[in-house]
Amino acid sequence: MRKAKLSVSDINKSFYMPGENISLQVLEKIDFEIQEGEFVSILGPSGCGKSTFLNILAGFENVDCGNAVCCGESITGPSPERAVVFQSPVLFPWLDVKENIMYGLKQVGKRKKDAEQLASEYLKAVGLEGFGNYYPSQLSGGMQQRVSLIRSLVLGPKVLLMDEPFAALDAQTRYSMQQLLLQLWENNRQTIVFITHDVEEALLLSDRICIMSRRPGRIIEEISVPFERPRTISLAGSEDFSILKSRILGKLLT
Amino acid sequence: MYKHIDKLEIAGFILPVTLFTVWYVATMEDAVPAYLLPSPWDLIRTAIDFAIASEGLTPYSGELLVHSIASIGRVVTGFGLAAAIGLPLGFLSGRIALAKSSLDPTVHLIRIVPGIGWLPLAMVWFGVGESTTLFLISLASFFPIYVNAAQGASSVSPMLVRAGRMLGASELRIFTTVIIPAAMPSTVAGLRLGLGLSWAYLVLGELTGVTHGLGAVMMDARMLGNVEMILVSMIFIGLFGRISDLLLLGSFRRLNLLKGSYEE
Repeated sequence: MRKAKLSVSDINKSFYMPGENISLQVLEKIDFEIQEGEFVSILGPSGCGKSTFLNILAGFENVDCGNAVCCGESITGPSPERAVVFQSPVLFPWLDVKENIMYGLKQVGKRKKDAEQLASEYLKAVGLEGFGNYYPSQLSGGMQQRVSLIRSLVLGPKVLLMDEPFAALDAQTRYSMQQLLLQLWENNRQTIVFITHDVEEALLLSDRICIMSRRPGRIIEEISVPFERPRTISLAGSEDFSILKSRILGKLLT
Repeated sequence: MYKHIDKLEIAGFILPVTLFTVWYVATMEDAVPAYLLPSPWDLIRTAIDFAIASEGLTPYSGELLVHSIASIGRVVTGFGLAAAIGLPLGFLSGRIALAKSSLDPTVHLIRIVPGIGWLPLAMVWFGVGESTTLFLISLASFFPIYVNAAQGASSVSPMLVRAGRMLGASELRIFTTVIIPAAMPSTVAGLRLGLGLSWAYLVLGELTGVTHGLGAVMMDARMLGNVEMILVSMIFIGLFGRISDLLLLGSFRRLNLLKGSYEE
């Protein structure tokens, strides 16, 4: 068996609520693994702790107990090896699109010329050729999120962590972003942990879905998604898709 | 929409034009004696003479450049000193709890005393003139610079900091490439307030006795009973204050640092 890219065993996480002087448990005994080249979705109702889970993988939050390991090393803080795409684009408003994409490359010591080259290639790949000199405020929400996606992808992360990246977009833009992500994934087989509350999105994109319970969040079921790749949005109309969808919905609602 | 703006702009001219007309009429027939309020025409002649010594109207004819350089030099030095100390301290206290708790109480304690209240002490410490003026300018402009830099640095969106970290930036790089640029809109507001105060305290300092400077000319002209020169100096100070503000704002705009802080 291949060695897991990222694995988490038996982690608990609580937040202290100063107002009520109690501690709120958000994650309970989470075990999780992802293999190289795998696309895994974490699906759960809002408030179940799935974003907290992602923050732990990203190194933004510490665990109370348990282990989180990426490529054999304990996760102790944020790293470009585990690049994140947030729910909102979180671009630097004082940098233009190209500079935003090159920001991470600069931090890891890439030469400026190579960084510029890479930025142009990725801009082209997501259909934003010619927008390099625009500022984030001049772009639509969907375009900003595409920039946010490639600013992380360009770093060649070992695992890409995506925290409900399309949830804030309108339905049409969301479809086109999902389509784009499927295409990109076909080309580079990036290892991705994808947080979502949208069952269709999880089914369409992932190889495997981990369903989380309400708080305290536990992984209550793992489902392998059997659909052939390459996939397109039209998959959502198929009968198998609907059957699996209602099965998952049933699980979520119990 | 454009029509609407035009109307509003016209509205802005009504008051100054009225005042100017009243001024002009009042001085035209010597209804107000010239030693209290000179006519607009006399004022313009005096100003031109002050600049290029065209008529030799006053003892200051042709001296605009000398006095302006003295005054601008003091503002640049005093304000520069305040910014050089206020910005780093402000950024630090906005981000580091220990810096904030060590600095803030003292800074705010000193801030309570109005800048003018420091004048007598400054004269005892630094003597009348140059050093006192620089001290007053630096002291007065330090506070808004410090407070606004701290405010800007402390309210940087945590998401931007997270983004910087996961993209591989070290703590130091986060400070220089995320915190400082994101704090800029507030910081520049503080710098502009500080610069405005610099001009105010320049005049205060110069009134106490320096040989060159627009404030010195005002005080000197008062003793000679030359109201034109007082008013002309006031106009130039206002003009320089406005120009310096535009230069400050313009340079930060050019550096692209006023893009607005990140909004979620």
